[in-house]
Amino acid sequence: MTIRLIFSYFFMVSSAAFAVVTVLGLLRFPDVYTRMHAAAVVLTMSAVLMSIGTAIYVWEFFLSIKIMMIGLFFLFSNPMATHAIARASYKRKIALPKEYEIDAYSEYLGRDSDEHS
Amino acid sequence: MNKLVKKTLITAVLAAAAFALYYNFSLLPGYQDLEKGISDYIITYGLHDTGSLNLITAVLYDYRAFDSLGESTVIFGAVSGIVLILSRKMLPVSSKGLSFIVKRTLGIMTPFIALFGFYVITHGHLSPGGGFQGGVILAAISIIFSIVYGSAFDYRRYSPQTKTVLETGGALTFLVIGLAGIVMEGAFLKNLGFLTAERGTLISAGSIPYINIGVGFKVGAGLAIIFYSMIQKTFEEDF
Repeated sequence: MTIRLIFSYFFMVSSAAFAVVTVLGLLRFPDVYTRMHAAAVVLTMSAVLMSIGTAIYVWEFFLSIKIMMIGLFFLFSNPMATHAIARASYKRKIALPKEYEIDAYSEYLGRDSDEHS
Repeated sequence: MNKLVKKTLITAVLAAAAFALYYNFSLLPGYQDLEKGISDYIITYGLHDTGSLNLITAVLYDYRAFDSLGESTVIFGAVSGIVLILSRKMLPVSSKGLSFIVKRTLGIMTPFIALFGFYVITHGHLSPGGGFQGGVILAAISIIFSIVYGSAFDYRRYSPQTKTVLETGGALTFLVIGLAGIVMEGAFLKNLGFLTAERGTLISAGSIPYINIGVGFKVGAGLAIIFYSMIQKTFEEDF
């Protein structure tokens, strides 16, 4: 086992650990927005780390470049999609945080924060 | 009397059809084990016959190219039916689209999605993929334009007329290559001999890449037309 494989397995195992943390967050967080936050932040990190590990594992120039492009795509698209879903669900009042003390986005939208409590 | 003649005629036609079917069926070779069957022939000689590294593409666009022509005709019929039923007017209902962040991010990513779609289409004979898959990726770009930037943007960039021209052009490419097969090789949709080159290069495998490009544009434009005629009068909110 060369040092390259050790590096690749290190990245893959840490990516799997991040994925486990994602599942824990999805199961244990109280409401929609915190769950989305877990899926956005930690799952993006997990996918990027997994693509880095795979790119080191195959270790061939064009294949590694393609896998890294997939990782870059995840890095752009996953937070963007989470942002779009969270914003739409807030604006359509699908999921509203009832017990938050500070709700700045409602004030930004000009919505009365006591309206939906 | 008339009824009896009619019944006799129907019975005769049915008997003739049954005999013809049975005669055709009896011409088929019996089932042999897998070593002597058609799949082993394709696995062994497919690369030599067609020059395509991807054997599924070789089957789809060389051995069974007539079947693929029928499939793309089915897509054409589906698009025509959906547009006939669902499209109420040709003017789009505009929406403001999603937020600024989504617009900027997709402005960066959309050219790469298009590049990936063309890559899947043009490398259909070398790697997994092909016309149908790459066409779906190209249709996703039109869906992204409609949802993220509003359907008026999509209408200005690629109007339904342009999509119709693209779809018809794809189907015509397929048919023209088939007719060229008649003229130059002697059979409909036969692989064109003068286009073969060294195996594994981008321009090789006879007429397979060109059929792939035609099918890709046809499927992409067709799915975009389906989506575009389905979203009318449904996207009015601003998320």
